[in-house]
Amino acid sequence: MSLARFLLRRSLQGIFVIWGVVTVVFGLRFIAPGAPENVLLPPDVSEATRQQVAAELGLDQPLYLQYFDYIVGLPVGDMGTSLVTRTPASGRVLSTLPATLELAIAATVVAIVIAIPLGVISATRRHKPADYGATLFSLVGISTPNFWLGIMLVIIFSVQIGWFPSSRRPVGIGIDAILADLVALQLEAAASGLRDWLYYITLPAITLGTYFTALITRLTRNGMLEELGEEYVRAARAKGLPETLVRYKHALRNTLIPIITVLGLQLGTLIGGAVITERVFRWPGLGTLIINSIQARDWPVVQASIIIIGVGFVVLNILVDALYTYINPQVGEN
Amino acid sequence: MAKIGVVLILLIVIVAVFAPFLAPHDPTAQDLDVSQQPPVGFGSTSTEEVPVQENGSVVIEDGNIVTEERTVTENTSWSHALGTDGNGRDVLSRVIYGARTSMIVGIAGTLLAAVFGVVVGLTAGYYGGRVEDTLMRASDIMLAFPSLVLAIALVGVWGTAGIKIPDPLVVSGLSETIRSALGLAVGMPETITVPGTVIIVVALVNWVWFARVARGEALSLRGQEYVKAARAVGANNSYIIRKHVFPNAITPIMVLATIQVAAIILLESALSFLGFSGTNLSWGFDISQGRQFQSTSWWIATMPGLAIVLTVIGLNLVGDWLRDALDPDIGGEGGV
Repeated sequence: MSLARFLLRRSLQGIFVIWGVVTVVFGLRFIAPGAPENVLLPPDVSEATRQQVAAELGLDQPLYLQYFDYIVGLPVGDMGTSLVTRTPASGRVLSTLPATLELAIAATVVAIVIAIPLGVISATRRHKPADYGATLFSLVGISTPNFWLGIMLVIIFSVQIGWFPSSRRPVGIGIDAILADLVALQLEAAASGLRDWLYYITLPAITLGTYFTALITRLTRNGMLEELGEEYVRAARAKGLPETLVRYKHALRNTLIPIITVLGLQLGTLIGGAVITERVFRWPGLGTLIINSIQARDWPVVQASIIIIGVGFVVLNILVDALYTYINPQVGEN
Repeated sequence: MAKIGVVLILLIVIVAVFAPFLAPHDPTAQDLDVSQQPPVGFGSTSTEEVPVQENGSVVIEDGNIVTEERTVTENTSWSHALGTDGNGRDVLSRVIYGARTSMIVGIAGTLLAAVFGVVVGLTAGYYGGRVEDTLMRASDIMLAFPSLVLAIALVGVWGTAGIKIPDPLVVSGLSETIRSALGLAVGMPETITVPGTVIIVVALVNWVWFARVARGEALSLRGQEYVKAARAVGANNSYIIRKHVFPNAITPIMVLATIQVAAIILLESALSFLGFSGTNLSWGFDISQGRQFQSTSWWIATMPGLAIVLTVIGLNLVGDWLRDALDPDIGGEGGV
């Protein structure tokens, strides 16, 4: 099957999945007790005012019409209006997205940079102290709730040692600001911006990244052990290839392919982890927005957040599948 | 390693079941006189300037209050071995009672998810065709939701109502009699709060893993000779699924269930931490309380977190061992 046909088929499936997510999320609001417009109104408001507000928000329409309107609005980015700020829900979600992406990408980078070498060391020094250390680390890492880890890091590195801040990240520190300084060729400002950025993101990135570091270490170790026992590795060694080449060119490469797929499927876990990490560090991202919106019963924002995450998940997994098919053509055939 | 896992799990289960015997104090009893008391071994001493008192009044010399240096010891006591929280509640007792909530939600949530997921998965895998397609598309949709976010949204919608059931060990007077005989504090909580909504929500966001595994098993079993034979002698499909397919699919389902108990305990603690808790005797809830004292009293958040880590390590060790021993190729979401 050609890559184009594969992509087309996966995209159609992806659209179906997104439709399912939209429908479930839309249904969520209607199993909530109380009328949605009550969020905006004081409890003692008159029935006439209540109906007027409901009409303004389109909540007096029959359910299927509201659903239809919502679906029709989605392709043009209309996801309703926040009940709290009265601004477009999609705008509120998108404005918090960069902070969460910074955190998620930083955590993923931390995880990959630490985990793959650790997994390889662990597999190539099997039953040595380094292997036991790495195995213990990955066991503890996947068993530790990240919100607790975050608090422990704050207690140790912020409260006791004072290396990192325990306060909220101020507005104006971010990748966007650093890039703006770079573009304006203000290198000194960019450098100090980068320092501040690292100062604030280190603990949250470790907090969010530990689970993934542990997971990838474990996957790399197990994958390497499996690959190193394969015939082709023995053949390569028999041929007299240097051990480094055998390990890194052949075994590691084949180990990494399935890991990419696992990471694609773990995006949900990454976002879930980001939600809770943001809570610990009061990070101004999507997770904070979701929790605040759920507590304020601001359903349009909750819906928009979940749908945007769902779209991200679907798109990322199609890309991963395409990459996988490209690397390993056998996959696309069934 | 698996032995360590089994020991950890047994320990937590015993602690959870016999909490009214084991807890040194009522976990909800406040004693503001001893609030934020450190754990044994972590009392600190410092020197402080205190006014010199003579006959109950301060001494003034040259217009200044006369002071002296005195060593102040932050008290610790074996009565509160792991210290106390901000309201003077005993941390150890709260960790012991928190084990109950984790176990109840972990086991009940996994059972509920397993029953639903296995029924759906076996049916889909056995019949194939459109039933199977529908299930697989539904499970694709479920996977696109970040489970924690979906769980928060559902708990946000439904609230976190818990059901109070009487604690048989306390209500029967058994634990109280033994406690008073041993000279321990009496008046332990008479009810156990079962966070019903949380259990339903964690099952709703996790059933899909069971459905996928069960489907895979049914798919490979439906072509087996003995299943064909059963069909040939006229057994109906639901009988075949119950008597022939399910018993042979049980191994991978058990492996998944062990890992899922761990995942659900982590999910419950995350929900409680975020303030969506059906009870305030929960490790996650205590960590969120302890966070407010992170700059002064580290132990309040640390102790319940260690309890979570040990429990989940135990379950993961047993899960890994079961997987290696019984079934090499299944997956499942590991945690939050």
